[in-house]
Amino acid sequence: MSQHPRHSAMLSISTSNSNLANAGADKQQPSQNVSTPTQSSSPGLRVPSNRKTIYDRHLNRSRTAELSRASFAFLFSEMVTYAQRRVTGIQDLEKRLNEQGYPLGLRLLDLLFYRTMSSSTSSSLSSSSTSSSPPNRPLRILPLLHLIHGPLWRLLFQRSADALEHSVSPETPNEYMITDNDPLVNTYISVPREMSMLNCAAFVAGIIEGVCDGCGFEAKVSAHNQPTEMWPGRTVFLLRFGDSVMEREKVLERAGVR
Amino acid sequence: MVVYSFYIFDRHAECIYKRRWLPRPTSISGKASRPTSEIPSSSNGVPPVFGQSDRTTDDDAKLIFGTVFSLRNMVRKLGGEDDSFVSYNTSQYKLHYYETPTNIKFVMLTDVKSPSMRVALQQIYINLFVEYGVLDSYPR
Amino acid sequence: MSTNDYLVLAGTFHGVHAITRTITPRIPVPSPPSSTSTTSYAFPNPGIPATGLEYLETEKFRLTCFQTLTGTKFLLFTDPLTTNIDVVMRKVYELYADYVMKNPFYQLEMPVRCEAFDRHLGGWLRGRT
Repeated sequence: MSQHPRHSAMLSISTSNSNLANAGADKQQPSQNVSTPTQSSSPGLRVPSNRKTIYDRHLNRSRTAELSRASFAFLFSEMVTYAQRRVTGIQDLEKRLNEQGYPLGLRLLDLLFYRTMSSSTSSSLSSSSTSSSPPNRPLRILPLLHLIHGPLWRLLFQRSADALEHSVSPETPNEYMITDNDPLVNTYISVPREMSMLNCAAFVAGIIEGVCDGCGFEAKVSAHNQPTEMWPGRTVFLLRFGDSVMEREKVLERAGVR
Repeated sequence: MVVYSFYIFDRHAECIYKRRWLPRPTSISGKASRPTSEIPSSSNGVPPVFGQSDRTTDDDAKLIFGTVFSLRNMVRKLGGEDDSFVSYNTSQYKLHYYETPTNIKFVMLTDVKSPSMRVALQQIYINLFVEYGVLDSYPR
Repeated sequence: MSTNDYLVLAGTFHGVHAITRTITPRIPVPSPPSSTSTTSYAFPNPGIPATGLEYLETEKFRLTCFQTLTGTKFLLFTDPLTTNIDVVMRKVYELYADYVMKNPFYQLEMPVRCEAFDRHLGGWLRGRT
């Protein structure tokens, strides 16, 4: 594993204990065990004295670890800049951000269950309003939404999402909305006026989509700006479940599965 | 308080008076032609200031005039026609400025801690410049 | 004033700032007899690097200039009697580092048009008054 200076810098960041949000630290961790990487003496990588890197750690160890908000902001800023290259429009850009988040959601789901299981005695993550411990994979839509609204949001941003709503329109019973008043990813981002439709939280929408797909719920998730006086960065994540999911939902409801 | 130098500029941008209280460098090797030329030595840890190696007092006066002239115009643009700038500070010195109604400019460079010299410059104008300069059959 | 006027002023100020640094008076330091032909100089405040204009006072306002290590200049125009200008300046710099430099849509060296920066700066200044 050759250490590119930038990558090594990222590793050293995720081992540092500066402040806030463990989101990035988790993103750096693959969900299965990785064989010990070759140790290199490149200047950016900080190898602990016992020669163990972040990959040798127990997955639960970085659960409460913190990551600098600034390093995440710069990393995300670069991700947006990268995604912006050769895009044809705002929708294309949002699609790319979504695609960057999607695999993260798939992997995060495993980590989430793993941690929820191993810490089900301590109530920190399993306090989802639906869960009777030990938690299972959600089968119905509502438990899934609660999983996203609560544990997933806490894993990523150390707080729950701000609202969870069902579409009131009878034509779109498959639409649900999760609201975040001030998304962490958008903290430092000002979208230029000519791109006012863009919301960089499309990345988070991609994560949600990955989590839904990972649970077997086919869904399309998009992020929309809904600023209020109080919360200028308020973002609504619109989840649109596929027809197959809605049909299964009806079957499961008749069968009394919760 | 230390005063480093003092200049008077007339309304044609000519420097009509200059006085420096800094000792001029004396060239030990005896090349008396350009007494101000010297090689900036960075050995004492002070970075050389660009372009100062071979500047004469005339050049200094021109630079100072350019500076105060630009600042005066800038201040008028920002603060209105009746505003005028009084002084500015850098980390090393303070420049005081006073302009008479006849567009004659008085400039004085002092150390940073000096108080406002506005009154002093005004006094120099009224009591010294008018008395001994203008009334003494001042050439213009 | 139009954007163009501001650009002209910025250009003027940039030049003046450089000149004010150049005309720093220097005091000859008596050189040891061993060294010939060169005379060393010291600034009036030795130990502090020479800077350009740091603040300017006029009859109506006070202009404070803060230059970052990367050469960006912040010009703050205040009432002559305003105190704690460096606190304001430091906060502006902090907000700039956060909401301008971490914004993927800001292009370096271009005019700052970041809505979040305006909002936080305005909010902070309102909170102070």
